Parts: sequence; structure tokens; C-alpha cells
Amino acid sequence: MKDYLVLRVVAKLMIVFMLLFALYVQFHGDFGPGGGFQAGVIAAASIIFYAIIYGLPAARTAVPDWLVETMIALGVLIYAGVGVIGLIAGGNFLDYFVLGHDGVHGQHRGIFWVEIGVLVTVAGVMLKVFYLFASRVREEG
Amino acid sequence: MFAGADHLMYGITIFIAMTGLYIVIARGNLIKKLVGLGIFQTSVYLLYIAPGKLIGGTAPIISEQFKVYSNPLPHVLILTAIVVGVATLALGLALVVRIREAYGTIEEDEILEQGESPAAGTITTTQV
Repeated sequence: MKDYLVLRVVAKLMIVFMLLFALYVQFHGDFGPGGGFQAGVIAAASIIFYAIIYGLPAARTAVPDWLVETMIALGVLIYAGVGVIGLIAGGNFLDYFVLGHDGVHGQHRGIFWVEIGVLVTVAGVMLKVFYLFASRVREEG
Repeated sequence: MFAGADHLMYGITIFIAMTGLYIVIARGNLIKKLVGLGIFQTSVYLLYIAPGKLIGGTAPIISEQFKVYSNPLPHVLILTAIVVGVATLALGLALVVRIREAYGTIEEDEILEQGESPAAGTITTTQV
């Protein structure tokens, strides 16, 4: 796709808004439909879009393999970390009520970080699956 | 009227399920079979989510303004089912990739023609 100027320019414009929409879906998840799963898939889709237009090597330079693999583990760590912080603060595992100065505030804070963890892991897994499939190339002959 | 809406959802569910099942049976292309399985899965999502939605009900957050709430449990179950669906789809695509490497085709009849002695080595792929 290297010769299609229109596609390349439009893609670069759209990727910004795709990432912005992913963040909107992520943070609007508190009040309406949305959340980490959906936002993670949208964020990964923007990178996959970049890979389709600019080629896999370019995407792997922008979002390298070590970052993707770190994201997969980091998200789970954030999720479990919220649970452990609840334990340290004197509640049960994944007890949100003890995270803030009052219960509702603690709930908001807990859900926020748990959803961040889900976003990071889902985006990482989606990109890893895409990289693994797309990097299998046919040998001529 | 509400009972009628319920039965409409069952009708749509069965229609989507049969659409997916027909694609799985009638199409020889393995990728198209996976698409059919995906459509079939969607019908199961609908079957679970539709009874959980109450017309006029809101998200289950207790408030003075609202008296009717939708049941969140089916949505959570189906959220898990969607994630599992993505994982099984990735597994299915990986199997299709391997079948193509072994047989050189993803058409079911052409694979059956080759029988148990695939024309190995026609297509080789490498991980870069």
C-alpha cells in the first residue's frame, strides 16, 4: 500500500481519532456502555490499521514486540495490584470500598484502575495475535 | 405487547442461528465456515441478553429516580462469552493456517481429495 498517497494521509488522520475514541469508550465506561474490553480492542484496531496501510515492519517499529508482551503482563499486574491494595488498606481482595475516603469514591477509583488494567491487557493480546498471524510469510519456491 | 417483543427476539435468534449453521454446512471454504460459526455465536449472545433487558429499565445502579432495573447478569456472562469467542476464533484461524501449510488449500473438498497423504511442502511459511 506504499504508493497510495490518499490512503496514507487519511490513515494518519484517522488513527488519532481512533485512539481518542478508544479513550472515550474507556472513560465513559463509568456512566454508560463501554469499558476496558471495548476500548482495548479499538486501540489495538488503530495499530492494526496502521500496520495494514504502512506495512507490518513500520507498525512493529512504532509498537515493538517487547512493549506488546509487557502490556499483556502489566495489565494483569494492575488488576491484581488493585486487589492487593484493597487487602493492604484493610478490606478483602478487590474490595473497592476501602480505596477512597468514602465508599462511593473508593468504588470509582477501584473500577478506574481495574478498567485500565483490562484495557492494557486486551490491547496487548489483540496486537500479539495480529503480529503472530501477520508475520507468517510465504516462502517462494 | 411485551410478550410479543419477547417472541420476536426468539424468532430473530433462531433466524441468526440457522443462518450461521447454513454457512457452516454449505460452504467448503474454511474461513467462511469460521465466519458462519461467528454468526451462530452472535445468536447465542442475543438469546442470553434479550431476557435480561426490561423495556423502560435502566442500568442497575440504585437511585431515587428509577424503580425498574435491567438484569446485569446476562450481560456479564455474554461479555465473558465474547472474550472466549475471540480466543476460539484465533485458535480456529491458527488451525486454518496450519492446514493450508500442509495441504496448500483451504477448500474442504480439495483437502478431502488429497486424503491422508497431503502434498506436503507445497507452501512453506516462516515466522519473521
